[in-house]
Amino acid sequence: MIRLYVLCLLLSVSSLSQAINIKVLDPDGKAVPNVVVYLEVLDSKVNEPQSDTITRAKVGEALMDQVAVMDQIDTQFKPHILAIQKNTLVKFPNSDSVKHHVYSFSKAKTFELQLYKNLQADPLLFSKSGLVVLGCNIHDGMLGYIYVLDTQYFAKTNKLGDAKIELPLGKYQLKVWSPLVRDDVSTLTQVIEVTKKQQLHNINLQKALLPNLYEYEAVDEFSDYE
Amino acid sequence: MKIIWGLLFYHLASWQILAVEVKGLAQVNYVLADRQTSWLDNGTGILAYSKNGLNVQQALVELSDSFASGLSYSLVANYYQTGEQNLGISQAQIAYKPLSNSRVRWRTRAGFFYPKMSLENLDTGWLSPFTYTQSAINSWLGEELRAPALEFTVYSPGRARNSAYSWQLTAAAFKANDPLGTLLSWRGFALHDRQSLHNDKVPFAAYPSVVQQDRIFHPSYVEPFHELDGRLGFYLGAHLDYFSQTNLRYYYYDNQADPLAVNYQRLYGWRTKFHSIAFQHKFSQSTRIISQWLSGSTTMGERVVDVDFNAWYLLFSHKVVQHRLSIRFDQFKVKEQDLVVWDANNSDGYAYTFAWRYNMDKHWQLGLEHHINHNNAENRAALSLPQEMSQQQSMAVIQYRW
Repeated sequence: MIRLYVLCLLLSVSSLSQAINIKVLDPDGKAVPNVVVYLEVLDSKVNEPQSDTITRAKVGEALMDQVAVMDQIDTQFKPHILAIQKNTLVKFPNSDSVKHHVYSFSKAKTFELQLYKNLQADPLLFSKSGLVVLGCNIHDGMLGYIYVLDTQYFAKTNKLGDAKIELPLGKYQLKVWSPLVRDDVSTLTQVIEVTKKQQLHNINLQKALLPNLYEYEAVDEFSDYE
Repeated sequence: MKIIWGLLFYHLASWQILAVEVKGLAQVNYVLADRQTSWLDNGTGILAYSKNGLNVQQALVELSDSFASGLSYSLVANYYQTGEQNLGISQAQIAYKPLSNSRVRWRTRAGFFYPKMSLENLDTGWLSPFTYTQSAINSWLGEELRAPALEFTVYSPGRARNSAYSWQLTAAAFKANDPLGTLLSWRGFALHDRQSLHNDKVPFAAYPSVVQQDRIFHPSYVEPFHELDGRLGFYLGAHLDYFSQTNLRYYYYDNQADPLAVNYQRLYGWRTKFHSIAFQHKFSQSTRIISQWLSGSTTMGERVVDVDFNAWYLLFSHKVVQHRLSIRFDQFKVKEQDLVVWDANNSDGYAYTFAWRYNMDKHWQLGLEHHINHNNAENRAALSLPQEMSQQQSMAVIQYRW
């Protein structure tokens, strides 16, 4: 019965949903990859307030099954930036042959985790939205981000600066985040109306990006560089 | 009682599984040795092997563990086929590095370890991943330098400041290591990969001026890690890194030994102090240069021996897929400053080392190395040996790591 209900709900959503395209460009018009773009609902056309609450509840449950991954590969966090919805579990495997000691001092999630090689640590639940900055106490050069969002509508731009998000018709706030963006991100927020029409939203950064230290950080196969 | 034992066993077992990390490495070689007898066999040759043949070159195990509080320990145990002591500990330390979010952080360690002077000895157990025969500088550090030390470091990772530069400042105090400099003054610099073990005894040729009762009357060996005078030594260090691409390390080491201190074995305190600058630059992920320069002095007795020493090397290493090719040039010199004519201490030389190392998989590695040097040591004359010699050594090495 519940399955049938969810199926109906999904069908109704898909008939009322649309994929929108977003492109992030720097002041020179160059594509900016690895930017988190997300949409917060202002007024969704997926009405029926009752079903909305149920959808959220269902989503909440589903999130518990869905596990995001922040791996450690070649003494780096992979991915460098992980965007997740609030209440997602994140697993921290260790694909390296060395130990890691991952920590965060961020308000959204303060933790430390010993990652021994060949041993699986239990996933962590990220139940507060906000930015979580990750470091490793053994490898000071390691830096990673988990961006915890209140919405389920999000994506990261690809190498061409493009992101595609499918979402129900309605009114949204389109927002972006990246550690390299120097613009006040609130000035980049756009209010958009998702309709049945195909849409492309450009986000034009006004300030040049911070230098990408991550790209420069060459990984050394020998470890004694602390 | 059974329950208690059971619980204890369970805790130990789970602690074992969760905690101790074991790394190890073993190298077996076939050497075409130079005809000069090695100092390890009481000769005056400056290479490790005296005879052609099959040898266990390295065998070591590193145990380590870290705890959530930022406390960790590590211990390296080695087996050597060559030398006087075959089995022992080469490093043991406890380190504390508190979790910190600050721009400037601190950490400390205590134990028996190397100051982080070298940019050549980056592999497990302080081995070089580039050549088997290490530079003259680090061959010497490996055989004579180490001490029970307490080291304190303040550091600032670039990541914490969104900067390309990371830095650290280190200061340490240590006991022992008083005979440091003995080998340099009499044997001179050598090129090898044998690190002295904790209670090791390093032999050298029985130079008449050293061993004769009417001369210095010192044994033809040194136990480099002794405490003879109760004084503390110290070292200071500074690191500057540009990302992980360029590294610069400066150290000043002074054992503050009393040159008049002597023990029952007739081992002396040698006041040894030196500067070391090491540099690495990576042109790409596969190509790098490493260089180090060392300059200092040592003195023993009432200037019975007083020498200045300096050495440098330049190493170029390039990796093609799983093949690493390295070439290193070394130059080294020990210059006599004392007026004791019957104990000659001048020695010098240069060396080329070529190595190819191929990672067959993550466990097995094959390698070939050829080494050539030309060196001169005045005190060979006292043993009726030519002062100058050219040496060559080739080796094929198979390595297993886990």
